[in-house]
Amino acid sequence: MSDWAGVFIFFTVALVFGAGGILTSFLIQPRRANPVKMEEYECGVPTIGPTWVQFRTSYFLYALLFVIFDVETIYLYPWAVRFNNMQIFTFIEMIIFIFILIVGLWYAWKEGALEWK
Amino acid sequence: MTPFDFSIPINPSALTLEMLVAALGLGILILGIISPKGARSGLGWVSFLGLMGIIGVAITMWGQSGELLAGMYLLDNYALFWKITFMVAAALVILGNMRYVDKVGNQAEYYSLTIFATLGMMVMASAGDLMTLYLGLELMTIAFVILVCLRKTDNKSVEAGMKYILLAGMSSAVLLYGLSLLYGLTGSVIMLDISRIIAMQPVSPALVLALVMIIAGLGFKISAVPFHMWSPDVYEGAPTPVTSFLSMGSKAASFAIILRLFITALPGVWENWAMVIAILAGITIIIGNLVAMPQTNIKRLLAYSSIAQAGYIMVGMVTASEAGIKGVMFYAFLYVFATAGAFTVAAYFYNVTGSDELKDYAGLSQRSPLMAAVMLVALLSMAGIPPLAGFVGKFYLFKTIVDGYLWLVFIGLIMSMVSVYYYLRVALVMYRDEPKDPSPINVSGPVTVTLILTMLVTLIIGIYPGPLSEVVNSAAHSFFLH
Amino acid sequence: MDFPILLTILLAPIAAALILVFVPKEENLTIRSVAAAGTFVSLALSLYAYFTYDQSVGGLQFAMQIPWIQDLGVTFFLAADGISLPMLLLTNLIGFSAVFASWNINSRPREFFILLLLLIAGVMGTFIAHDLFIFLLFYEVVVIPIYIMVVIWGSSKRVTKEYAGMKLTIYLLIGSAFLLVGVIALFVKTSAMSGVPDMSFTGMAVVARQLSGFDQIWLFGLMLLGFGSLISMWPFHSWSPDGYAGAPTAVSMIHAGVLKKIGGYGLVKIAVFMLPAGAAFWAPYMAVLGVAGVAYAAMGALAQKDLKYVVGYSSVSHMGYVILAVACLNVIGLNGAVANMFAHGVMAALFFSMIGFIYEKTHTRWIPDMGGLARQTPRLAVGFMMAAMASLGLPGLISFIPEFTIFIGAFDVYGGLAVVGIAGIIITALYVLRAGANTLFGPPRPEYNHLKDIRGPEMVPLIVLGTVLVVGGLLPSLLFDMINSGVVPLHAAISDALQLGGKF
Repeated sequence: MSDWAGVFIFFTVALVFGAGGILTSFLIQPRRANPVKMEEYECGVPTIGPTWVQFRTSYFLYALLFVIFDVETIYLYPWAVRFNNMQIFTFIEMIIFIFILIVGLWYAWKEGALEWK
Repeated sequence: MTPFDFSIPINPSALTLEMLVAALGLGILILGIISPKGARSGLGWVSFLGLMGIIGVAITMWGQSGELLAGMYLLDNYALFWKITFMVAAALVILGNMRYVDKVGNQAEYYSLTIFATLGMMVMASAGDLMTLYLGLELMTIAFVILVCLRKTDNKSVEAGMKYILLAGMSSAVLLYGLSLLYGLTGSVIMLDISRIIAMQPVSPALVLALVMIIAGLGFKISAVPFHMWSPDVYEGAPTPVTSFLSMGSKAASFAIILRLFITALPGVWENWAMVIAILAGITIIIGNLVAMPQTNIKRLLAYSSIAQAGYIMVGMVTASEAGIKGVMFYAFLYVFATAGAFTVAAYFYNVTGSDELKDYAGLSQRSPLMAAVMLVALLSMAGIPPLAGFVGKFYLFKTIVDGYLWLVFIGLIMSMVSVYYYLRVALVMYRDEPKDPSPINVSGPVTVTLILTMLVTLIIGIYPGPLSEVVNSAAHSFFLH
Repeated sequence: MDFPILLTILLAPIAAALILVFVPKEENLTIRSVAAAGTFVSLALSLYAYFTYDQSVGGLQFAMQIPWIQDLGVTFFLAADGISLPMLLLTNLIGFSAVFASWNINSRPREFFILLLLLIAGVMGTFIAHDLFIFLLFYEVVVIPIYIMVVIWGSSKRVTKEYAGMKLTIYLLIGSAFLLVGVIALFVKTSAMSGVPDMSFTGMAVVARQLSGFDQIWLFGLMLLGFGSLISMWPFHSWSPDGYAGAPTAVSMIHAGVLKKIGGYGLVKIAVFMLPAGAAFWAPYMAVLGVAGVAYAAMGALAQKDLKYVVGYSSVSHMGYVILAVACLNVIGLNGAVANMFAHGVMAALFFSMIGFIYEKTHTRWIPDMGGLARQTPRLAVGFMMAAMASLGLPGLISFIPEFTIFIGAFDVYGGLAVVGIAGIIITALYVLRAGANTLFGPPRPEYNHLKDIRGPEMVPLIVLGTVLVVGGLLPSLLFDMINSGVVPLHAAISDALQLGGKF
């Protein structure tokens, strides 16, 4: 059981840590409400009009394309760091990898995903 | 040798098939981008011929064996047989449904995603560790999610896509949890190592939990009862070619990986999962067949029947023996042809009449004798009526469990005869009733070829299963050679 | 083995069916001629095989064997012995007649004859296969064409044809599910015992006979369920009258004439042959069920007013004799069983074909609506009465000697039961004569004056089957010598096994 004692302590501490924070703030918080306090603060501005608006799917497509190339860099970094030690084969592999991503971008472009309509 | 050592020599020729399929999928996508809209129906032929070529290459690779990356990727006849099965399934779906796809549009997406899904399945068949398994599974699943909602304007199709992505996500999560438990317990993701480590330690409750999670997660993929709820809705809503590929390819691939995972990685705890699988198989057979009875929509009927079929295939896993693996592979192969036949008829019929309702199949035997005959042969093969292939398949499956699970043999065979009841209802409508619209249905060339091919294969395997059985024997034998 | 005679017999109807696929569907006469030609080839060749079979040598002849599925030990093994040849001949006699009995089918004739030919080929296959796996392939082939034929061309007089077809199909399939479990278990046990899988009857039997008594008993029980429901053993018989009533004439002929006999044939050549100890255990129960079937179905037939139901119940009752005879497990009994199957097949087929013509002409099968048909349609009446007389076992017609043999065999083993069985004959006489008298004799009814007697192709069933009925009655040795040459070695094998086992 001693193996698991660490896990148990970990969970207990995590629980106490989380609950303790909430509890402390509950105990010491000022309880006087005034109009200024009830305003949004740093969480945005007061909304104008109905809040159930649809976002353009273009946002989504942009985000998606961004993520793809964002993730690509994760692979590119270690590859670049070790570049000098590698054979030509690895170089070709990375070219293929980028090529596949470019085909994806090409496809998205052709389908009009990059046009802001 | 650390896993991140880039200097591990990889023999790229071992991955020829996967690379070819990936290249084909990309090629189709590029062709789709550069070709004008009107010329895109030719993409079907490009994909079909490409797949046939790769199947040809695959056949020449028969007998290869080995491991890549310290057991992450296993190459053997077992994997190769499954790969050929998946490609045959994809080729049949593509050949039989070109006109349907032209109607839906988005040919480039459809064909390339079908091929990428196939690639995912192929990766699954060779997976030797948990990560590769999951990678292949997700590649397949994500491709299918898009395929399922390809008919963007059809509410049912979109609904089906939604259901599929939610439930696939959930089942993946459950599966992943099980896999991570397994990794936590053994400290390895390589199946062969896991099996060695498990053999050395006593069975812990966490391992049982991992087993339950894995069975549940993969149970979704093969739509075994009680994880089957998604499949009728998804099967009904998805475009028929996709349904057909989903029910044969996705299911077959999941079986390929289940066998690998359970029999390569978890044989040490066989007694913990054998009975669970046996009971699940029994329930799946019973529920699938009973619920199929009142269905009036041909796609829902086929969906429930495919649930029952999954139950039969599960029977082969119970003993974790070479004979059982052989039974699973044999059955999966012929199931591909039976399903392709039935769904090609359904898709073509929908193309002509716009209906999937069983009552509209009235008089099909007079409007198109070929379509009616293929449908009948396919359904009866699933029921296991000799001399069709399904009978031999069931013989191979059930002979493995006579000792020890006789009750399951009874359930399986009696329910398969009960299933004839609803299969014959289809026959009744097609053969007895007079058609409302007696105009004959002209079946186009590629569809005729697909239909005749599926029917002939179903018949020939049924009457003369010898050669296929030899091939499958060799495949099942290679399973244990790692 | 020079000329693959059994294979040709088997493939001739299939070839004819394939040709029919390409015949335009309006060519009525061509369609019928092709079907008749296909069955005629088979009939002629099976007659040839029957009379060239060397009884003094006995055993399996005309054998051909091709390795089929190696890991299951299956060989494509066709062969005939003294038990299968009469059954093969019977199938072809009835198949040939059935084509002519269906001469007047006018709705979708091409599909009808294709299915009929496949059906005939399937039945023949079961009788000449000498490998359990190949036997099973043919065993269920027949079920689906029958279902389709019943629902398209059947009649819904008393029960709807859909009900009749489905009942028949599901009953037989559930029965065969039990049989399949039995066969698979038998295969697994024998191949585990010998190490070399072998599914040929003889190879498997050698091993199977060494199985423990308990295994033999439950395996035989499963086979009894399967074959018993096919041969309409009481209480699994209720599909039979309904099924026949719903089925078109040709299907009734083949079903009552030969299909049921697959059950009896399987019992003798598979179940008893392979599992003698199991047979010895179940024999008394089989005998009781057989006699119960005889008595129950005869009473049932007595109460019927629909001609097809009368014959349907009578066939259940006759099959009771067969089961009783198999249960004797002695040479006389087994001889009688096989001979009675042959005799009943010919007689039932003739009966159903005549009823089919009556129904075609008068549009009724309801006995009280008929009478005096002998005046208007004398030839039809002759056929009907021949079948009726054979049914009650009139000496001089084919079924007298087999029934007599069965009683001798049964009396030895089950004295009291045999007496009850014999009493069944009296009831048989009662209902058969009553049905004949009320249909054919008495004052002719004016509404039937316009009826035309059977003629031309319609005469073929009467001539073919009637001839066999008389010749078989006058020269019983033609049939019995053949059967005996098959039964004697079979019986020797099982009695050896029983003595060695020393059980029961």
